[in-house]
Order: sequence, then structure tokens, then C-alpha cells
Amino acid sequence: MVSAISSVRLGKTYPKAKAGARALSDLSLEIPTGRVYGLIGRNGAGKTTFIRIAATQLAATEGTVYVLGHDIRTEERTIRARIACVPQESRPLYFLNVEEVVYLYLKLRGLDPKDARRRTRDALDELSLTEYRRSLVSRLSGGLRRRAMCAMVLASDADVLFLDEPTTGLDPLARRQVWEAIRRASRENRTILLTTHYLDEAEALSSRLALIEAGQLRLEGSPADLRARVRYPYRVTIEGAFPREELESYGKVSEIEGGYLLFTREAEAREVARLALERGLRVSMGPVSLEDIFLDVVGKSIEEDAPLPDNEEDTTEVSA
Amino acid sequence: MSERNRLRSIFTLVQLNGIIPIRTTPLYIVNLLASPLSFLFFIYIVSHGTYVAYGITGGMVLTMLTVGTSVQSDLTHYRHDLKFQDVVVASPVEAPIYVAGMALSELVYSLPALGVFVVLFFLWGYASVTSLAVLAGVLVLVWSFASALGFTLATYFQDVRETFIFSPMISLLFTVLPPVYYPISALPGWAQVASRISPTTYAAGLVQGSVGLQPLSLSVALLDWGVLIGFTVALFVIAAVKARWKEP
Repeated sequence: MVSAISSVRLGKTYPKAKAGARALSDLSLEIPTGRVYGLIGRNGAGKTTFIRIAATQLAATEGTVYVLGHDIRTEERTIRARIACVPQESRPLYFLNVEEVVYLYLKLRGLDPKDARRRTRDALDELSLTEYRRSLVSRLSGGLRRRAMCAMVLASDADVLFLDEPTTGLDPLARRQVWEAIRRASRENRTILLTTHYLDEAEALSSRLALIEAGQLRLEGSPADLRARVRYPYRVTIEGAFPREELESYGKVSEIEGGYLLFTREAEAREVARLALERGLRVSMGPVSLEDIFLDVVGKSIEEDAPLPDNEEDTTEVSA
Repeated sequence: MSERNRLRSIFTLVQLNGIIPIRTTPLYIVNLLASPLSFLFFIYIVSHGTYVAYGITGGMVLTMLTVGTSVQSDLTHYRHDLKFQDVVVASPVEAPIYVAGMALSELVYSLPALGVFVVLFFLWGYASVTSLAVLAGVLVLVWSFASALGFTLATYFQDVRETFIFSPMISLLFTVLPPVYYPISALPGWAQVASRISPTTYAAGLVQGSVGLQPLSLSVALLDWGVLIGFTVALFVIAAVKARWKEP
């Protein structure tokens, strides 16, 4: 499959960074056309830096990115005509109403008013924003503002959409609506590069995922690939007294409230589950979650912030 | 992007940042009327009406400069707090289109103030074909360089609070210290020389000369136009080369 985005040994060191502090390092990725591609990693891992470079908002220090076959170093204008972006922590202009946010963005991109009106109506419908179309952004909740930003970009004519944590602050129902809109965009053969803190979201939406830690690619592939590549692809939860030493012979054990969590291989998981059931203990088993994989690879939870290189993303210090 | 789409983008920005906010909060207009009219009132009182003509021409120059400082603060706010510049960068809209649209949108706010001064200009009997042509040319140049300066600075500021420091400084350097509101002869010799650094000295010289407030020979007029146009071109070049549309 042809790549919509292809990064080649991409590196980024911010101008004011301390010596050796790199936001991205030797990052090569192939993001297929017409799919949702998830970038996951802790705050400060380099996700936003990658998105900002690919979206031509930030210069790379080393390597390059090709977007739809065009080099970000020399063909920015061609790329910009075909992309759209919801930046992290972006908000719509507060004196506009929701309809104006979407409609004026589309007109700004050069769409004719009739087409812009139609696309606006469809996007507002899809994200359940029609009832708020005349509401001023300044009077909306954070979640509704974020949805308006998503509607704006999803309604556009862009072939590649960069969505940097698009569902932060949304309630579960609104998140599902955004997911559906993202899936529809993908069915229209548009490419979506998504960063998210919600691993369930990344797994539900992405055909492929890249796990980034400290600016480096740690794991890449489809969710099934990622599971296949971890040491222990199965998890077993046991409630009750089971000798820890015995469990440790099967894999990696952690203590949880009222029992143990064991990461192991499939055959061993079945064996331990059988033993636990024979001893009258409550047991559950299944493939590891993305959260488990993240923990295994990085050694830390995704909720834990990584130290930010100077001038790095996720701060207010961003400029054009 | 076709020329037609570029124009559409510019007018969309005017609608987005000029017409709609005024519709939502009409008090914006009063705010932009306040400074130049306050200056005019102050000058009228202090000079017992002698310098009121300078207050009218100076008020128009100040109004155009205010557009530039508004471009600076709005764009800084949009870039930092709303990430609007990032949204625009990742779109077909090019930097010159963005600046042109934003500068025109800020002009919309200034039109009522400008209207008041133009009416006073007519009432004081200064309107002639020549003076109106000179006035229009000078105001377009002041608006252009102020907007280019505002955009360039906005791409460097790390916080919107920095604009609170720079905006009054720009007003001071461009409208209070140079002889915009009074004749250059009112300044001591050294200050007359120092005021030649500011482009608004030349702008004011042209406007004041065109209405007969100051003597203006053809050679001086040509020099003033040359400096004003040169300064505007220089700021456009600086904006094109140095403004951070894309972050380094």
C-alpha cells in the first residue's frame, strides 16, 4: 500500500534545548493511505513534535517527512493544500458560533460557499452539534469546543488529517461520535494521523500504531502485531491465595488488590487458569491490552509524564 | 490556491476577525475611537485650539498605527492561546494572505474612528483633491508597515502579555515622540534630528504639508515619500524573511 506519510530518519532538537536533549531521534515511519494511524506515547514523548513537523508547522533538524509523496523541506505549499490539522489544546475563536467555526474555516481554505454550507451542515449533524450551531463558542463547554474543532477539520476537503488528541475532554458518548466521524473519513480514503492518551481509542480506531518513547520509535504495527511482539501476550488475573513463587515460574507477576496479575504466554495462561479453577479461585484471562503492552515496553504507565526537552511540545511555548 | 480563492480567504478573515466580533461586541469600536479622540481633546485644551489641525491629521496616523498594534496582539493571542496560526499554517492559506486578511479585519474596527477624523478634516476645510490623495497614500503606507511590523513581532512573542509591553512602546515611538500631533518646529534641535528615525515623522510631514500646516517643497515631499515607501518595503522584507510562519 502507498504511504500517505513517510518519515525518514526524522530528528528534532529544539533551538533552546540543552545539549543532547532531543525531541525526536532517527524516527522512520510509514503511514498507509486511507487508514487511521495512531501515535501513542507519554506526554513529552515526541508525538506532537512529529505531527507538527509532518503538518509543516515545525522545522525538522534531521531527516525529512514525505506527505502524499511531497517533501516537507521543499514542497510545503503543495502539502498544505491537502492537509488539515487539529493542534493539541487548540480552541475555536470564541466570538464565533459553532456553525461559523466550521463554515468560515472551509471558506478560508477556499471552498465555495455552497459546498462549505453543505459540508458544515453534514459535519454538525454527524457530531451532534446542530442544536448548538448558533451558540457562541465562548458559552460552550470545553468538550463542545473540541468537537467543533474536530467538525471543522473533518468537514474539510483535506486528504490527510492530523488530529492531536482530538477527544481530550470529551464525554464517552461524544468520543464515540468523533470516532465514528473519523472512521467515516477513513472510509473515504482519507488518511488520519491521530495522537491520543486513550489507549482504548487508539486500539479501536487505528489500523496501525506507533509507540514513541523519548523521541524514539519503540514498537510499530497493527494492534495484533504489537501483541504478537511482546514477551507475554496473555494476562491472567487471579483473585485469592495462589503461591506467588509458583506463578513466577510462568511469567511476570504483579500484585493487585486481592490477588495477582500474571503476564505470560498463551499455553501457560491456560495452564495457570486451569490450576486456579481447580483450587476454587476466581480467574480471568485474555490477550494483553494496549495499556499492558505500553507498560511492558516503556516500563511506565502512559499517564506518567515524560521529562520535556526544552521548548518541547505540550507546553505553551509553540510558535509558527 | 487560485487568485479567486486567495481573495475569498482574505475576505473570510475580514468577516471572521472584523465583522463578526464587532457584531458580537460593538464596544470594540468605542475602544478604538477613544485613544485618538482623547489625544485630540488634550491637544485642543493645551494649545487653546491652535494645534487642533495637527490633532486631526495625527489622529488619523495614530488610528492606522493602532491597526498594527492590534494585529500584533490579536495574532499573538490566536497563535498562543488558541493555536489558530497552526490551524492556518496546515491549510492552503499562505502567510501573506493571512496577514492581509488580518490587517484588513483590524481596519474594519478603525473605520468609525477614521470616519470621525475625515469628517473633522472636511469641517476644518482641509479637504482638497491633493490633500485627500496624500492622506490616502500616507494612511495606506502607515497601515501597511504597522501591520507588517505587528505580524512579525507576533510570531516572536512567547506570551500575549509581551504585547502589553510593546504596544504602548510602539505608540510612543511612532506617534508621541515624533511630530505627529504637533509641528516639528515645536521640538528642540536635537529632537528634530532624532525624530527623523521614525517613519511617522515623514508621514506627518506629508499630511501637514498637504493641508498647508507646514511648508513642503517638492524635494522634501519626494524625500518624505521615498523614506516612507522605503520603510514600508523594508518592513515587508523583514516580515517575509524573519516572521516565523513555521517554527524553527
